Amino acid sequence: MKTNQANNLAIQRQAGFNRRQFLRGLGACIALPTFGSLLPTKLLADVISPQNGLATTATGAPLRTAFVYFPNGAIPGAWPSNDGSDFQLSRTLQPLASSQKQIQVIGGLDHMNATAGMDGGGDHARANSTFLTGVRLKKSATDIHAGVSIDQAIARQIGHLTRFPSLELTCDAGRNTGACDSGYSCAYQYNISWSSPNTPMTPEANPRQVFERLFGAGAAGERVANSQRRRQEQRSILDFVMQDARSMQQRLGSTDQDKLDQYLTGIRELETRIQRAEQFGDVKDPMVETPAGIPADYAQHIQLMYDLMLLAFQTDSTRVATMLLAHDGSNRSFADIGIPEGHHDLSHHQNNAEKIEKITEIDLFYVQQFGKFLDKMSATKDVDGNSILHNTMIVYGGGNADGNRHTHSNLPILLAGGGGGTITPGRFVKHGGKPATNLFLSMADRMGVKNLERFGDSTGRLENV
Amino acid sequence: MNFRPVILIATFAASLTVNLTAWAVEMAAAIDFKKNIQPVLVEYCYDCHGDGEHSGGVALDAFNSNTNFIEGRDVWWRVLKNLRAGLMPPAKKSQPTVDQKAIIEHWIKNAVFETDPLNPDPGHITIRRLNRVEYQNTIRDLLDAEFNVQEEFPPDDTGHGFDNIGEVLTMSPMLLEKYMVAAEKIIGQAVPTVSGVTPEKIILGSQFRGDAGDPKRSGPLWLSYYSPASVTNIFKAEVAGDYQLNVDLVINEKYVDDVFDYNKCLFIFRLDGKELLKKEFSWEGGKPYRFSYDQSWAAGDHQMDFELRPLTPDAAQTRTLSMQITAVTVRGPVGKEYAVRPKNYARFFPKKVPADADDRRAYAQELLGNFAQRAFRRPVDKKTSERLARLAESIYEQPGKTFEAGVAEGMIAVLASPRFIFREENIESTGGEQPYALVDEYALASRLSYFLWSSMPDDELFQQAAAGTLRKNLSAQVNRMMADKRSDALEKNFVGQWLQARDVTTAPIEARSILAREQKFDPEREAMQNRFRELNNKNDGTLTKEEKAELAAIRASFRAQRQQQLRADLTPELRRAMQQETESVFNYVIRKDRSLLELLDCDYTFVNERLARHYGLTNVVGQEMRRVTLPPDSPRGGILTEGTVLIVTSNPTRTSPVKRGVFVLDNILGTPPLPPPPNIPPLEDAIKGLTNRVPTLRETLAAHRENALCSSCHNRMDPLGLALENFNAMGMWRDQEYNQPVDPSGQLATGESFSNIKELKRVLVKKHAEDFYRTLTQKLLTYALGRGLDYYDVETVDQIVARIEKSGGKPSALLAGIVESAPFQKTRSPVRTAATSGDNAKDKL
Repeated sequence: MKTNQANNLAIQRQAGFNRRQFLRGLGACIALPTFGSLLPTKLLADVISPQNGLATTATGAPLRTAFVYFPNGAIPGAWPSNDGSDFQLSRTLQPLASSQKQIQVIGGLDHMNATAGMDGGGDHARANSTFLTGVRLKKSATDIHAGVSIDQAIARQIGHLTRFPSLELTCDAGRNTGACDSGYSCAYQYNISWSSPNTPMTPEANPRQVFERLFGAGAAGERVANSQRRRQEQRSILDFVMQDARSMQQRLGSTDQDKLDQYLTGIRELETRIQRAEQFGDVKDPMVETPAGIPADYAQHIQLMYDLMLLAFQTDSTRVATMLLAHDGSNRSFADIGIPEGHHDLSHHQNNAEKIEKITEIDLFYVQQFGKFLDKMSATKDVDGNSILHNTMIVYGGGNADGNRHTHSNLPILLAGGGGGTITPGRFVKHGGKPATNLFLSMADRMGVKNLERFGDSTGRLENV
Repeated sequence: MNFRPVILIATFAASLTVNLTAWAVEMAAAIDFKKNIQPVLVEYCYDCHGDGEHSGGVALDAFNSNTNFIEGRDVWWRVLKNLRAGLMPPAKKSQPTVDQKAIIEHWIKNAVFETDPLNPDPGHITIRRLNRVEYQNTIRDLLDAEFNVQEEFPPDDTGHGFDNIGEVLTMSPMLLEKYMVAAEKIIGQAVPTVSGVTPEKIILGSQFRGDAGDPKRSGPLWLSYYSPASVTNIFKAEVAGDYQLNVDLVINEKYVDDVFDYNKCLFIFRLDGKELLKKEFSWEGGKPYRFSYDQSWAAGDHQMDFELRPLTPDAAQTRTLSMQITAVTVRGPVGKEYAVRPKNYARFFPKKVPADADDRRAYAQELLGNFAQRAFRRPVDKKTSERLARLAESIYEQPGKTFEAGVAEGMIAVLASPRFIFREENIESTGGEQPYALVDEYALASRLSYFLWSSMPDDELFQQAAAGTLRKNLSAQVNRMMADKRSDALEKNFVGQWLQARDVTTAPIEARSILAREQKFDPEREAMQNRFRELNNKNDGTLTKEEKAELAAIRASFRAQRQQQLRADLTPELRRAMQQETESVFNYVIRKDRSLLELLDCDYTFVNERLARHYGLTNVVGQEMRRVTLPPDSPRGGILTEGTVLIVTSNPTRTSPVKRGVFVLDNILGTPPLPPPPNIPPLEDAIKGLTNRVPTLRETLAAHRENALCSSCHNRMDPLGLALENFNAMGMWRDQEYNQPVDPSGQLATGESFSNIKELKRVLVKKHAEDFYRTLTQKLLTYALGRGLDYYDVETVDQIVARIEKSGGKPSALLAGIVESAPFQKTRSPVRTAATSGDNAKDKL
């Protein structure tokens, strides 16, 4: 007892915020899966339109998709090697043992547009923003041009079904100054989700902010009223700012108009959400404490963000989410697990056995966090009686294969969840050199996305998923 | 290298750019490619970049007198940069004469860039969204309100190393939502929405001191759990009525690892002798309490007493438990007739709210029009203020809503408007078909204020702009602004990013691993460690009394050593001191108008006691930062040896000479190396010959420079980084690493040798002053404009550099040069913008 208190206090002191707040926030979110009452009694999708298979499972539950990015590649040898349904989990994937039947390791996917080509250095920036877009980035510090990312392409068609078309999360709270990777704008390196070639969907790192955005500000029980008041206020000013933006846009040149377009897109999205809330009512208050800020402990931060993603899925607040665990090239120190060196620095291990071991440990750390998330997802019931994990497709991967050499073929990618029964997990399938975007197209199909013939550098649909 | 040519170049450049003589223009026109340029290229360049050779993918013989040079601007821009930096032709090859160099430079600017030195192209700045810092400062200056952007907004993306670049500052739907919520929060906190509130008096804890209280004190009062105490204050109620008392308490402790404090106390609060609170408190680290009491009071004095009685005289007092009396708040008398104006009411609502509906609307329009004008940083038309008044009216006409709440709603709309969030600029109407136009003075006022203050223009700037006198009084205004406290933003935001000083507060650094590298081999300690392992592995019961004592002694010794390491650790305080050092040195050089070269080498720095100890400086006592003159043998003084720079260029457990070298090339010399090529060959092969021991970093780097692919860039960065090897990854001095002495000597790619960091600094000052001026000018201009520099900015930069040189390196020349420059003063006319939007060489400088 005494040591526990001491430990908690040590955490509190490290974190520099109120211990009670901290524990409450933590307890609340880690206990989330038990909140069966959070299930939407009636799905918004049902109300809006007949299903037509749009982001819906055969059993009528919401079908969700998420993309989780881990940085700096993985030690290739520690990723699994034997295929088939009796596949053995490699050392790095051991923490996924309890959900082995719910994951599919996908070998042989590439991102050729993340290779140097004519663009020279900058593999981290490219790995990061090519991952979900599949396009070649324009190499520039300011003139940003990527492509629409797959999560956004999906959200465009199914986003109207939920309160939030998509949710962008990260556990990378800080941002270094100075130039980013080799002449690429930092926007490429800190974003994986893009709603247009020049509009990154900035991810949120602060759990409190995510929670308040999803469920409203204030204490449990007051949030619905707070959201209603906020909506009313926003409604009254939307007309004014919309008119301001339009008249301003007329006064501006073309590059400046892009900026106002971004503003207007945001306004329209907000307007839609307000209308929908007024039409269909508010989301249920989860009746848990709002999480405090960012925990000092990295693992706790990651778990909180995963919990929030799960909460968003559970309440059908969104069906599309992305999570950038850390940007590619992240030099985070993992002193907490006994590895004081920087992740990126170590990843250029030059075949030094000790460094390889440490990188494997870091890869393992990230997979452990993901494994806990999957366990929670599979323990949470969905409206159709299946687990939320069954009704979700989650890509876990990165745009760098071997961090030491900066390769972008045979990327470490796995697909978790059952996709509502549309995919066959519990296998390791080798595809032998197909664009990763082929997988994304196959996922988009399952989400009910129409008229997406090609995506990024895709050459077709990925078969045998 | 002799001294003469340097002077020649300097005078030549100065005569060219400062006077902008007709001679120069004529001379440029007279340069003939075939006659004046091509022969020089043939002689000095074609060996590697012509006649079939194309090192680095550059073949200059692809250009001939019939070429449209404009299409090769990117290539010629690189030629210009490498020629000026002395990187091309390489040091070991024969060099063109000073005159030949000057002619080529001039020809590139004139014939390739088509620069008109008298009317340079100002370029176009993409409309800028306020970044986090600017938003926070603008809210502070607009409303006198604090808003924590670090907590509320996601970080802004950067380009060219700065977070205020218009093109890169995007806006996602989430961010827009955050702006809406922020507007509501800020106005909700700053602007009163009622005209009267119940009076409130806060009696701070420290005003309960002794028997009678002390009204002059501020802050809370702490009463120890371990000794009895009684304190008092007397509140005088002017009138009889209903009052509410709120008593705010916090249980405090001083945290100590692994111990617990079992003390308890009895705490009593009495009002006029009657006990309202009597409660036992124990250890409850940091827990706040509020107790509320409703009272019906007669007019006159009311006495409030706190009493604390220790209950556990025998318990160990390990955590300094205390009861913090934060404050007692007396609200009352309750009742409409006693209501007072809320805080800040007069600032937002200077007049009484009229009763008549038309008058009310007119008042709302006046208030909101004025507010919008300040928030938008330019005049607003009547239509806007009418729309705002209608919005306010639509709120305050609702039942139960006040006039003030309506106006507040209008203010929220103003803060959510793109006219607040973005900085819109207009041009002066000149009436001619000019390709470039001056921005209007409101835009100029904002350009100045966001450059120097990272905030909105103040009243004076705004008035000058309104009167059309700002441009005329530019220099006086810059001086006034630099003397203002708000110009600290320039250090924090410009220096914080140029030298990455901001990052020192979060850079991951593992002190123990770093210090272990410098641990000298100590046989005694080694023996002690072996003995410890031996004893520690034995079963507890089998240890003799002597052995137990020995084990305890070894443990104590280890602990002492760990403590010593902890003393060296980079605490948040030390990191902040380092950040302040970097900011203060820049601040000092700028405010005192010292030579900019002091940023590279000087005999002073800014430290406090803790930072001084870190640097091995003595005789500095106290927490405050102050300027100290360094001893003659000190390696410190100047950017390169500041803790910030040394740390942000290191890995968590070791230094990185490569990162440090790149930092100097990029931020001091302005010649960043190309990024590493893909498929870098592994280093193992290169160091095979050294397998009998661990090679030093210097040996490893030397081995890999033998590869020609690596050497072209590493020859430039490694010597600079290795010169700093005497400073570990925490910025502390060291003589050796892994029991091998550090060798900081080296030779720059431009030829100069040095034996240590002090000499390197001197080389930089003596031989590379112009490079440094140019780099700093480019960085500061990028920051001031909020856009990357392009080839057409070369002329502007040259003019500013010439001005700095003429002044003897004065910061005032740099600042004046920037604010008076074409890109700062002007913009491309809208017509011209469309015509030249095809430029694609945006990010090469």
